[in-house]
Amino acid sequence: MNDTTIPVAIDPDLKDLIPGFLANRRRDVESLRSLLLQRDYVAIRLIGHSMKGAGGGYGFDPITDYGDRIEKAALEGTDEVILAATAELADYLERVRPVFANPANE
Amino acid sequence: MDEMTNRAGTVLLVDDDHDILRLLSAWLSNAGYTPRVVSSGAEALTQLSIARPDVVITDLCMEGMDGMALLTQVQALYPLLPVIMLSGQAQISDAVKATHLGTAAFLTKPPQKEQVLSEVEAQVAIARNRQIESGVFGATIIHRSARIRELLEEAELLAAGDISIFISGDTGTGKEILARAIHGASPRREQAFIGVNCGAIPEQLLESELFGHEKGAFTGANSRHEGLFLAAHGGTLFLDEIGDMPLSLQVKLLRVLQDLEVRPVGATKGIAVDVRIISATHHDLESLVKAGEFREDLYYRLHVVPIRLPGLAERREDIPVLLEHFLGKYAEKTGTRLKRFATEATDYLLSTAWPGNVRQLVNVVEQCATLTKGEVISLVMAQRALRGEPGRLQTLKDARDSFEKNYLIGVLRVAHGNVATAARIAGRNRTEFYKLLELHRIEAAQFRADSR
Repeated sequence: MNDTTIPVAIDPDLKDLIPGFLANRRRDVESLRSLLLQRDYVAIRLIGHSMKGAGGGYGFDPITDYGDRIEKAALEGTDEVILAATAELADYLERVRPVFANPANE
Repeated sequence: MDEMTNRAGTVLLVDDDHDILRLLSAWLSNAGYTPRVVSSGAEALTQLSIARPDVVITDLCMEGMDGMALLTQVQALYPLLPVIMLSGQAQISDAVKATHLGTAAFLTKPPQKEQVLSEVEAQVAIARNRQIESGVFGATIIHRSARIRELLEEAELLAAGDISIFISGDTGTGKEILARAIHGASPRREQAFIGVNCGAIPEQLLESELFGHEKGAFTGANSRHEGLFLAAHGGTLFLDEIGDMPLSLQVKLLRVLQDLEVRPVGATKGIAVDVRIISATHHDLESLVKAGEFREDLYYRLHVVPIRLPGLAERREDIPVLLEHFLGKYAEKTGTRLKRFATEATDYLLSTAWPGNVRQLVNVVEQCATLTKGEVISLVMAQRALRGEPGRLQTLKDARDSFEKNYLIGVLRVAHGNVATAARIAGRNRTEFYKLLELHRIEAAQFRADSR
């Protein structure tokens, strides 16, 4: 596991929403691990779908990518892909550091 | 809600994903819009009449009513309200279907800020331009309800064309006023508008009234008569109560509409005529067709674009402005001092059945204004003017629920969101009223700032 932080430029308009959004994704990680033990692929797919649809909008493109992988893997029932994507998501959430700046100021 | 927010417009957001709702709300709020959020299609339908949004943004995939079903419902209820579809799956078939159903734009998730704001800005600008353009047209029918506003916006768009329009609605709903407004907004407005009540003229006279006659065509035809079709040449002919037209004349009317020429009674040659036809009836014309009392081919010829005028009981929020308007007209006409209804009298008139619609309301206003000596018209006077009117039958649960919801919305709008006032109008205590609001998922607060 890499300890380096991942700075991500985020729209300052979303400053108040980001802590809640990232907290929800951490909850998703826990849910995904639990749902995988139950083989509840329908619920896993829905979480993946939701992450895919929201991540990039908030400025976290990798969350959209993890969501996409999880959604597709849930459809195919491939546990190892779900497990790997969930682990990568957990790692990303540990290291990501939002930087609130207007695109013009970057 | 500040002025800036009011000017920018209201956007109804529909998604079962709260992260998306929060994201879009933040973008729109910061851009000066007023976002309203709901998490299902069913809630969205309730909110449409409350929030009166300028634009709807909906997710495609939702539990229960999905985005396509919501789009279909919105198109039926508010045909001019733009709906932007958001989808997590970039399926071409979905985009094609949504476009076919009339979506204003089809965007994929994750949403992009600039794209969302750009689409919303474009749709609001279109809607606002339409409102400005329809200001004069809209003034022809007194209203403040979103339902009539939408209807008038649609009618004005139709006015610009030349297609036949069919207006249905109960007696007293204003069918002729709307027909005149359409003519007045059409390219034919400099030419004549001729109206004829097909049910009021005896069958034997109606033919010569419509198509004219030559001198000596029949006993008593001492001079040539031009007929209403030729009188309306270049303009609009309004055929009121078309459902009452005898079958023998229906076939002659059909021939005129097909051949674009009339042949006066007793004439040997037809005369070319150019008229736009607007027809109306309070009958259910489809039933008359099924019963063989109205020609199917004529029905389709006239029924190119149907417009249904709602009864007054379906647009209760318009009642206060109508009362005020007709009291003003009465004072102007009689040169007397302007009168007003007591609060209890207005409350009573808001909750009555109005089977005779606006025409009945005009009669009630004039009767009350004539018989009231002072400035304020009392509840007793209003009750007296309406005495003997039959009540509205509402026995089925669905009909009752639907009525109750619309009624609560109307009362809250009239009371500007003040629950105490609304409860008093409804004749309920506040606790009961709050329970009803909760049952129908209506929030009183939304009416306080939303008095557009």
